[in-house]
Amino acid sequence: MDLGSGPNLIAACYGAGALSCLLARWSGRLALGVGHLAALAGAVAGLVVSLGLLLSPSGRTLIQPLPVLFPFARLSLAIDGLSAYFLLVISLVAVAAAVYGPAYLRTHSPGAGPARQAAQVFALNVFLGSMALVCCAGDALTFLLSWEGMTLASYVLVVSDDRDGEHARAGLLYMVMAHGGTALLLVAFLALTEQAGAFDFAALRIAAGGLDDATRTTLFFLALGGFAAKAGVVPLHVWLPRAHPAAPSHVSALMSGVMLKVAIYGMLRFGFDLLAPVAGPLPGSWGWTVLFVGTTSAVLGVLYALQQHDLKRLLAFHSVENIGIILIGIGLAMMLWRREAASESLATVALTAALLHTVNHAAFKGLLFLGAGSVLCRTHIRNIEELGGLARRMPWTAGLFLLGAVAISALPPLNGFVSEWLTFQVLLGGASRVHGPEGLGIVFSAAMLALTGGLAAACFVKAFGVTFLGRPRSPNAEHATEVPPSMIAGMAWLGAVCVALGVAPGYAMRLLDAPTTGLLGGAGASAVVTARGPLVLSTALTPSGTEGTAISMTIVAALFLGVAAMAFVLRHGLRHSPMRTAPTWTCGMSPTARFDYTATAFAKPLRLVFEALYHPRREVIRETAGTPYVVSRIHYSGEIVDLAETQIYHRVEREISAIAQTIRARSTGRIYGYIGFVLGTLFVALLLLGLVYG
Amino acid sequence: MTGDRPLALVLAEMVLLVLLGPLVTGAIQKMKARLQCRQGAAVLQPYRDLVKLFRKGTVQADTASGFFWLVPVLVLAATVAAGALVPVVRMGPPAFPLGDALMLLGLLSLARFLTAVGALDAGGAFGGMGASREMTVAPLVEPVLMMVVFSTAVVAGTTELGALAGRRGTSWLLMWNAADFLGFAAMLVLLPAETGRIPVDNPDTHLELTMLHEGMLLEHSGPGLGCMLLASHTRQIVTLGLVSALFFPAGPAGGTETAGLLLGASAFAAKIFVLAVYLALVESSYAKLRLFRVPQYLGVGFVCALVALALRIL
Repeated sequence: MDLGSGPNLIAACYGAGALSCLLARWSGRLALGVGHLAALAGAVAGLVVSLGLLLSPSGRTLIQPLPVLFPFARLSLAIDGLSAYFLLVISLVAVAAAVYGPAYLRTHSPGAGPARQAAQVFALNVFLGSMALVCCAGDALTFLLSWEGMTLASYVLVVSDDRDGEHARAGLLYMVMAHGGTALLLVAFLALTEQAGAFDFAALRIAAGGLDDATRTTLFFLALGGFAAKAGVVPLHVWLPRAHPAAPSHVSALMSGVMLKVAIYGMLRFGFDLLAPVAGPLPGSWGWTVLFVGTTSAVLGVLYALQQHDLKRLLAFHSVENIGIILIGIGLAMMLWRREAASESLATVALTAALLHTVNHAAFKGLLFLGAGSVLCRTHIRNIEELGGLARRMPWTAGLFLLGAVAISALPPLNGFVSEWLTFQVLLGGASRVHGPEGLGIVFSAAMLALTGGLAAACFVKAFGVTFLGRPRSPNAEHATEVPPSMIAGMAWLGAVCVALGVAPGYAMRLLDAPTTGLLGGAGASAVVTARGPLVLSTALTPSGTEGTAISMTIVAALFLGVAAMAFVLRHGLRHSPMRTAPTWTCGMSPTARFDYTATAFAKPLRLVFEALYHPRREVIRETAGTPYVVSRIHYSGEIVDLAETQIYHRVEREISAIAQTIRARSTGRIYGYIGFVLGTLFVALLLLGLVYG
Repeated sequence: MTGDRPLALVLAEMVLLVLLGPLVTGAIQKMKARLQCRQGAAVLQPYRDLVKLFRKGTVQADTASGFFWLVPVLVLAATVAAGALVPVVRMGPPAFPLGDALMLLGLLSLARFLTAVGALDAGGAFGGMGASREMTVAPLVEPVLMMVVFSTAVVAGTTELGALAGRRGTSWLLMWNAADFLGFAAMLVLLPAETGRIPVDNPDTHLELTMLHEGMLLEHSGPGLGCMLLASHTRQIVTLGLVSALFFPAGPAGGTETAGLLLGASAFAAKIFVLAVYLALVESSYAKLRLFRVPQYLGVGFVCALVALALRIL
């Protein structure tokens, strides 16, 4: 098949989807159907194109000129291995979202008018199309324009769902943070294009070759800041747990599972491609910074997730955690790349771990958000304290959610374990190669990663157990029913990806060859990690490259299933004995839903253990009847604070308010006063420009 | 690469571990009883309990979902599969790669995860309490355990337990340095936590104030409870096997002769026995810690493990 027409096909599908929604806005049903169908077609086309490029032996770059929009720049697409890989990640989740979407939007908000539904599907298509464009952009201008398109489309989706103030505030915060990040990117890109005199990436690469180390590092940190704001890295994450849950659930899946990855794509593009020195290792500060912020994000993300009782907000905090895990891999790759000949393969493993976790997180986080969406559209409740007992009422959703929960907790035999295993191997290998205090830093990062995994498991025992098990704690949960088959199909697709990437990850390594070779040079992922056949994952830890560690997910999964079959027989008992049901033992009282352990209670021990990070606040009001010994009513409220919010954002907010108050004294309300200010600013700016270039 | 342990041997070792698991529990119980000047139940009592449970019928909570029935199956499967990753009678890598120490810890975590999920299924406060406490202690134990594993893996250049033990060899015991002592000290701190014993947990009680793991089993009955108990016996011997593979890698690393296998088996039995005596002594001489003292207790292990690892890589 000729892949050259592929990008056109993808663009045509998403474009047609967006356009048809606008035309069909008189019928919500039609708009939902046609729009999602077009999105599905675009996603499938994306899958085909990216798989075709990744599996083609030459590892070529597909270059596609775009129509001339501006007289001063030629726009183009350039799809290399890295672009194709991220296009694959986008398309994987987009397929699920497109299948899941129509039924969800119809059942979740049946009262929505056709215009709103058409607008949502329009924005969805624009969102998907611009994410694909960002990853395929071949020049700075296309990148920035589609980056902006992605932000605006997702903003529309965030504020589209309900008309209450909370979503609008979440959207505003999102806009401010996203544009702050874009401003940093703009500076980084403009500095490069200024140097190059052109916009296309090939010219930028050449121009960056002539930079000195200090400029290079400054530009990298500008870009890192810009992308980190989009990826939700601590402390720039505050918008994420507000904005992601506000969008419709399949869009939340896309935002958390995919949009954050587009920022990861940008970091990789800048760090390893555009800004990388022609020869020699990357400056040491890059890898350290990325590793440090990654570790911080991983631990703080999961700690805050643990105390959330809003299912979608909890999942959003877990995205902060998983972005942190991906950044640990990227940081290690930056540290080890070109450092010494012996650690070349280890850098490849590090990048492989990061890229594999990218697709893994997209799969299980997408699955979990869709599962949360199913719960939401049947119960209209996001607070898990009011749910419960859904496993009996929504067995498919519960089973698939549990699958995603096991995968995100990095437990074998599913995919989360594979990428964390690789990350641990690189951390261990890196620590034994980078001696001294730096090695100790890597080891500490490994310990924190282990803590993250354990806390994630605790969090998902809570999330799954309190939502789906026990007794229903509200009428809505009591009367919930299973979701339509199309929604189950969307979840099942991502569940199948989780299982496939967990049980047979060796076959996916071939897809990682093109991006790893393209960025790092040298042998690709499959040559390093699956050197002993596709069933075995192996890494060499010692500098001498002797036999390292080898595991086989496939055989362990087979062993697990075999033992489970035997245990299944044992579970039936040695002789056929009757099974009867009885009420749960509650010390002789008649059991009610109030006996179930709540999420607040479940997370309380960890809240006390990590008190220093949470600053928990609790308030208990007792109403007594006559004597203090008879309590008629207890009112409990408690909350924890996000340290980044109180320590950074609230302070900044106070400062800005104070400055604004000061300025207000000077603001007269007369128009010529303001014109005077503008002229004054312009004069100062020109003066500065003259001083710099004069 | 041709390994030293063919797949048949690995599976035989796994079965051996499952069969011996209850014996270790029985032996610890007997030792504890003698230390407390009691006669105690017979060493074989855990086997009798299991047989009794597997012959009984099941009573299931009426609020439990269909998933509840499967929990014991999956928990037992995950724990037993972890047993296949521990070298028992012979050191050296397996003929075909299975999993390493991280996979072993992962499978044990999977078992714990599923147990905790099952505990919430019945919808009583006891199950939730047990699950909450277990999932509080586990994330604190895991990083320390991982660092202990890393502190030995850095030397051997692998996290595969058989290869790790084989590469360090028997004579390595004579060359212990400070890092090994510290790592082993951390492991001794962790051992009661990982096997669910005093001072972290108390396996003998169903009092709601003290229990962690037992609280999660309350609603299981009959064969299901049998599976859960067999899983916790297996988990205990697997953990002890992990310690002996990391710190006492004695045993032949090749050959197929029966004498070598017998020697390896008896060496393994001796190591497990010593560790069981340690557990019995600790259980008899300490009181259970308050739950919120446990992080401080584990902090001692964390510091030991961190210093051990620092000594290795600095």
